[in-house]
Amino acid sequence: MKLKNSLLNQYLLIILLAIMIVPISFLFISIVFFNYLLIDEEPNKYQNGADLEAMWHAEAQSLSGASNEQINEKLIKIKNEYSEASVFWVDETGKTMGKLPENQPVPPIWSTSLTIDFMKKNRGLEADPYTVVSLIGKQKDEGFMVLQVPRSVMLSTGQSLQDRYSFAIILSVVAILAIFIFISWIFFYKIRKRLLRLQRAMSNPTESGIPDSISVEKKDEIGQLEVSFNEMIHQLEDSRIREKEEEMLRRQLIANLSHDLRTPLTTIRGHAFSLKKEELSNKGKESLDLIDNKIGYLGQLIENLLSYTLLTTGKYPYYPERTDMVRLVRTSFAAWYPVFEGAGFQMEVEFPEETFYWEVDPQRMERVLDNFYQNIYRHARKGAYIGVKIDAPLQQIIIEDRGPGMRGESIEKGAGIGLSIVSLMLKDMRLKWETDTGNQGTIIKIRKSS
Amino acid sequence: MRRILYIEDDLEIGSWVQEDLEQRGFNVKWLKTGEGAEKAVIHSDLVVLDVMLPGLDGFTVGQRLKKEAPQIPILMLSARTAVDDKLQGLQFADDYVTKPFHPDELAARIEVLLRRSGLSASNEIKLAHICVNLSENTIIDQRNGEEIILTGKQYQIFMHFIKHPNQILTKEQIYESVWGEQYMEGDKTLMVHIRYLREKIEKNPGSPEIIETIRGIGYRVKQ
Repeated sequence: MKLKNSLLNQYLLIILLAIMIVPISFLFISIVFFNYLLIDEEPNKYQNGADLEAMWHAEAQSLSGASNEQINEKLIKIKNEYSEASVFWVDETGKTMGKLPENQPVPPIWSTSLTIDFMKKNRGLEADPYTVVSLIGKQKDEGFMVLQVPRSVMLSTGQSLQDRYSFAIILSVVAILAIFIFISWIFFYKIRKRLLRLQRAMSNPTESGIPDSISVEKKDEIGQLEVSFNEMIHQLEDSRIREKEEEMLRRQLIANLSHDLRTPLTTIRGHAFSLKKEELSNKGKESLDLIDNKIGYLGQLIENLLSYTLLTTGKYPYYPERTDMVRLVRTSFAAWYPVFEGAGFQMEVEFPEETFYWEVDPQRMERVLDNFYQNIYRHARKGAYIGVKIDAPLQQIIIEDRGPGMRGESIEKGAGIGLSIVSLMLKDMRLKWETDTGNQGTIIKIRKSS
Repeated sequence: MRRILYIEDDLEIGSWVQEDLEQRGFNVKWLKTGEGAEKAVIHSDLVVLDVMLPGLDGFTVGQRLKKEAPQIPILMLSARTAVDDKLQGLQFADDYVTKPFHPDELAARIEVLLRRSGLSASNEIKLAHICVNLSENTIIDQRNGEEIILTGKQYQIFMHFIKHPNQILTKEQIYESVWGEQYMEGDKTLMVHIRYLREKIEKNPGSPEIIETIRGIGYRVKQ
């Protein structure tokens, strides 16, 4: 994968930014401040003591031979130019001749010791105010003049700027840090948002049970994840379609198989029936009856076999609904009544006035009962008894016979596929059946599985 | 002569069924495919339709026929498993017989369907001492030749039995087809009507011969 499209790339950039941000931002801000502000700002004329000193000495020299008035005028001029400074001058006799401003504590008469003391006090780099003493005149015998500037106004431009703008600089740094935090938050927020979108897409299946595919906007790692997700969706859809096709094929196969088996059976039955109309011995007629009987049995077996196949693969139709059980059992037994009547069965039915409801598929329930009746009709003829009862308070269906029991021998004993179907169907409907079987008969109870 | 349109692709079964039904007195027109069935149905009293047909399948043909002639009953023959057919097939079919069917059963079902649409083999049905004339809608007591007059509901109930001969009908089934509404458990209306009906048609209403009570299940009229 190209580094350009990688989230790693972006992440590294942010980390780099994090490492560099403090020094770089200071540097950057300083450059911005000093470049812009220094140019705009007037240079401080007090900032350089040497300049002041040179200026003062030059002025003192230029006043050589000047009158008192000329000197005073000059000082006023200088004072106007350097308003922060205070100046005074003393003539050759040691008398203070002029001072600006007027209120400064300058002794009127300068004795030698006073002068030396003044010089001593105002000497050095730390002395405040900064003092320059110049002797007036070329011969330096016309007195002296003094310039005093408070140290506080002698700060360099940079220093004074720093003092004035330090708050702004800190604020800028904080702002830059905030922007950095914001950028990294945006970075993770975006990742989070996209991950959440993917998560939502995965957990929101459509009607088909498969989530929709999603649009891929970027080519980074998450984008690739989205591409893979879409591929997976397509595969799922494909397999779902294949599964449906297979199911269709299976159903078709079963339908065709059933058709192919039943059609010849119908033909055989037809011919047996035609044959029966011919002149036949009693033995011949018995054989034909047996053939007819077996054809019916085979038809039933085919039906059961195919149902069983569908049931075990979960393809048997299942539409559960709230069902009136007394009504269902009564109706289903009504259809079988003539059959048992014809076979000379003694029939006992007991249906209560009060009914109860089960959540079952009526078609399946009928099938279950049909299978039980069929078994009794086929295997319990010897007992010639069938009892169908409903116990409403206990919610159970009871089917009774007096045949040889399920373990007993019957002429038409099969593989028990009918009962396997019964078990599977009841299990799907959350019902269970119990048998109490012996050689005196069988009692079957169908009830809800708890 | 009652005309049956029989649609079946299997030649062996087809020729056998045609022969059998003709021997039973039906006029059978046999088609090997669904083509032309829509024209032929107009000249028929009943359709016997095989589910598995080449070309159009039996369900499609049946639905078209039902659209063309809704009053003609359709009896489906199927060699497929009942699992998927029953649900689809019975929506338009009036009855359903699974292969391998017995010819007697087929004939009996045809007879019942024809009777329901008013095309019985004979117009008269004899039940014990009474004779029901279906074309004139009369019930005659043959002991004295007098007509038995039934009320609307009694007649409807009685005709329901006639149309479902030998079948045990539960009280829910009778009530719902005669009254056309859901049967409520414990409703005695039907029992009362049947009691009055019996008083009119039975020799001895205490031990009925025509409308038989099947204890715990329902009623039956044997023919």
